[in-house]
Amino acid sequence: MESFDLLLGGFAAALHPAVFLVLAFGLVTGTVAGALPGISFVNAMAMALPFTYLMQPTAAMAFLGGIYVGGVFGGSISSILINIPGTPASLPACWDGHPMTRAGKPQMALRIALTSSATGGLASALLLTFAAPPFARFALTFDQPEFFAATVLGLVSVIAIAKEQPILSLLSMFLGMLIGTVGVDPLYGMPRFGFGQPMLQSGVNWIVVMIGLFAVAEVIDLICEERELRPKAAGGGSISFRGLWGLKNSILRGTGLGCMIGMIPGAGATVGAVIAYGVEKQASGKGARFGTGVPEGLAAPEAAKNATTGAAMIPLLTLGIPGSAATAIMLGAMILHGINPGPLLFTSDVSTVYTIFAAMILANLLMIVAALAVAKGFSTLMRVPPAVLGAFIIVLSVVGAYGVRNNIFDVYVCLFFGLVGWGMKRTGFPTAPLVLGVILGPLAERYFLTSLVNYDNDYAIFFTRPISGTILGLAVLFGLWSLWPAIQDLRHRRAGRTTPLDHTGRVPEDG
Amino acid sequence: MKAALGTFVAAGIAATAFAGGALAQDAYPERPIDMVITFGPGGGSDTMGRTAAHLAEKELGVAVPASNVSGASGNAGLTRVLTSPADGYTLGTLIALTVSSWAAGLGVGQPDQFDVVGVLQSSPSMLFVPKDSPHKSAEELLAFAKANPKALKVATSGFGTMDDVTLRYLTKQGDAMTNVPFAKPAERYASTVGAHTDAIYEEPGDVAQFVQSGDLVPVLVFADERHKDFPDVPASKELGLDISGLDNFRTIAVKKGTPPEIVERLHKVFADVTATQEWHDFCAKTYTCTENMSVEDANAMVETFYKKVKDLLAQPS
Repeated sequence: MESFDLLLGGFAAALHPAVFLVLAFGLVTGTVAGALPGISFVNAMAMALPFTYLMQPTAAMAFLGGIYVGGVFGGSISSILINIPGTPASLPACWDGHPMTRAGKPQMALRIALTSSATGGLASALLLTFAAPPFARFALTFDQPEFFAATVLGLVSVIAIAKEQPILSLLSMFLGMLIGTVGVDPLYGMPRFGFGQPMLQSGVNWIVVMIGLFAVAEVIDLICEERELRPKAAGGGSISFRGLWGLKNSILRGTGLGCMIGMIPGAGATVGAVIAYGVEKQASGKGARFGTGVPEGLAAPEAAKNATTGAAMIPLLTLGIPGSAATAIMLGAMILHGINPGPLLFTSDVSTVYTIFAAMILANLLMIVAALAVAKGFSTLMRVPPAVLGAFIIVLSVVGAYGVRNNIFDVYVCLFFGLVGWGMKRTGFPTAPLVLGVILGPLAERYFLTSLVNYDNDYAIFFTRPISGTILGLAVLFGLWSLWPAIQDLRHRRAGRTTPLDHTGRVPEDG
Repeated sequence: MKAALGTFVAAGIAATAFAGGALAQDAYPERPIDMVITFGPGGGSDTMGRTAAHLAEKELGVAVPASNVSGASGNAGLTRVLTSPADGYTLGTLIALTVSSWAAGLGVGQPDQFDVVGVLQSSPSMLFVPKDSPHKSAEELLAFAKANPKALKVATSGFGTMDDVTLRYLTKQGDAMTNVPFAKPAERYASTVGAHTDAIYEEPGDVAQFVQSGDLVPVLVFADERHKDFPDVPASKELGLDISGLDNFRTIAVKKGTPPEIVERLHKVFADVTATQEWHDFCAKTYTCTENMSVEDANAMVETFYKKVKDLLAQPS
C-alpha cells in the first residue's frame, strides 16, 4: 500500500493552488493549440518551455503534462467539426467523426471522442502510476527488430483503413514512403533526392506534409467548391450514458492498443490511433459501414490516442528515454529543473514522481471540463464565413509549418502539399495512406537497417526473435483479414459469377 | 495562445527590419539576441543553449530568446547563423558532431566560417558495457575483439562521426568491433542497457543515470589521462591506444566577420556564465565542465578536431 500513500502525497502536491492552476492553464492551452489546424501541441510545448524556468519543478511538469494531455485530445475537435485534423493523431477522428457532424450530430461525436479519450488517458495514467517499473523492464527486451515489426503492423493497417480501393491506398502509401526517403539517410549519411538543395538534405518533415495535405488542401477545396464548413446545428445529436456504455468494448480495445503502442519509441499517438481504427474496423463487425459515422470507429482510435500519453511517460520517467517529440521536450524541461529521469528517479526523487503521476491523473479528469469549453468556443468560431475561416486556417498552417523547424523551406513544402492534396482529393486518390507512409517509411527503414547491422545481416532475425516474429505474424494475418473481402470478390469474378455488389464494393453476405 | 503568436510574429518583423539598418556598435547589445539551437528540443545542445541563454540574459541586459532550428546534424541551424548579418545578434550552438559531419563531407560549414565565443561543455567519450556483460574490463573487451573480429557490437551515433573514426582506429589496431549506428540517442542507450548491443560509445554525462544505477559500467576513456570522476577507468593511452583529441565539445559560435569588440564582449559574457554557481551545478552533473578558453584557442580546437576526423576518415576502414 506504499504506493497509495505516495500517491496521496502526490495529489496533495498537485492540488496545491500554484500547481493546480498551471495544470488547468496548460490543459486549456494544449486543447486550444491542438484544436487549431496547423498549430500542434508540440509547438505549444516548445513555446511554453521558457516559461517553466520561473516555476517550481513539479509545477513545470504539471504545466507541460497538461498541454500534452489537452493537446492530444484537442486535435479531434477540429477533425470532428471541420474535417481538418488539428494534430496528426486526430487523423482517424476525421473518418467517422466528421460524417457525424455532416449528419447534424456534432455534439454526439464530441461526447464520444471526449469520453473515449478521457477513459484511455486515465487508464494509461493509472498504468503509469502502478506498473511503470516492471513495464519499463519489459520494454527494454524490445530491440530494433521488434520496433521494425511494430512499424510494419502500422503500415499494414493502411490496408485495413482503406475503404474501397486497397490498390490505390497502397500506391498512396508507397508514394509517401518515397517522399520519406528524401534527405540524408539515417545510417550511412548519404544524401538522397537532394537535387543540390541544402534544405532537402534535412528531409521532408511529416508534420509539414500533414498540414499541407489536410489543412491547406481542405481550405482550397472549400473555396473552390464554395461549400459551407459550418456544422449544422452545433447542439444536435446528443448521446445517452447508455449509448456510451455500449461502446465499452471499442474503448477497451483502443485503450489496450494505445497503452502498448505508446511504450514503443517513435510510434506514439498517431500510429496508435491508426492501428486501433484498423483493428476496430475488423473487430467491431461493422467494418463495412466504417467511414460513414460509426460510433465505434470514432471511440477506438480516440481511446488509443490518449492512452499513449501515460504509456509514453513510462520509458521517459523510468529510463530517461523519450519516445516522441512531446516527451523529448518534457525530458529537456526535467533536466533544466535538475530532475534526472532514469532508473534512479524512483528512489532519489520519489515525491516528484508521484506528483507527476497525480498531475497526469488530474489532467485526464479535468480534460473533460476544459475540452467541452474549448469545443463550445470552437463551434462559435465556425460561424464565421468560410472565406474568413479559410484565410485564418491558411495563416495558422503557414505559422505551424514554419514553427516545426523554424524554417521557411517547410512553408513552401506545406503549400506544395496543399496543392497536391487538393489534386488527390479531386481525383479520389486517398491522402491518409500517404501521410502514414511519410511517417512510418523512414522509421521502418531505420529499424530495418540497424537490425541488420546489429545481427550480422541475417534477414531471418525478424522471424526468429519471438516477439518480433509474433508481431510480424499478426501483421500478415491482419493484412489477409483486411483484404479478405477483396480476395473473395476476385474469386467470385474468376468464377464468372455476376454477383451484384453493394455500394461498399463488398459481396452481400448471402451472395 | 493567439496573443503569444502575435508577439512572436511582431518580434520577427521587428528583428528583420532592424537587421537591415546600420547599428551603433558601442551600444551593443541594444535589442534581443537570437540563440539558434541547432538540434531539436530536449537534447544536449538544447539544454546547454537554453541554460546558457537564460544565464547570459542577466549579463547582457537584453533578452536572449532561443529557437530550435534542427536538421542535417546541426547544419540547418548553422546555415541560419551564416545567412544572418555578422553583427552579434545571432548566436548558434556548434558541437563536435556537426564539425565531424563537415569532415565527412556533409553540410556547408568549414571551421574558418565561425568564431567560437565560448566552449561551454566538453567531455571525452567512453566505452560502457551493460551490467551483466561478460567483459568486465577494457583489457577483456579488447582481447575478445582481437580473438573475434567484428563480433562485438558497439552502439554509436552513426557513420562518419567521432564514434566511427574511433572504431576505425581500433580496427586498425587489430581490435575490430562492429559499428551499429542509432540515429536517436534514446534508442542507442536502450539498446545497450537492454544488452542488445555489447557496448556503447558515449560521453559519461549523457548516460549518467545508467552509470549511477549500475546499468552501464564504464570500461575505457578515450583520452591521454584518466577522467577525474572515474579514477578506476583506464585511459586509452595506458593501453597503448593513441586516440585522443576527439572530445565531444559544445560551444556557442558567431559568424566570422563579427566586429572583434562584440566577439570579445560575448566571450566575456559566456566566461562569466560558466563561472556562475548555477552553471557549475549544471555541468558537474553531466561531467562536462570546461576551463575558460580564449577565442583563438577555441577556434584552433575546432580546427584541430576537424582535421583529425578528416584524416582518420580518409584512411580505409
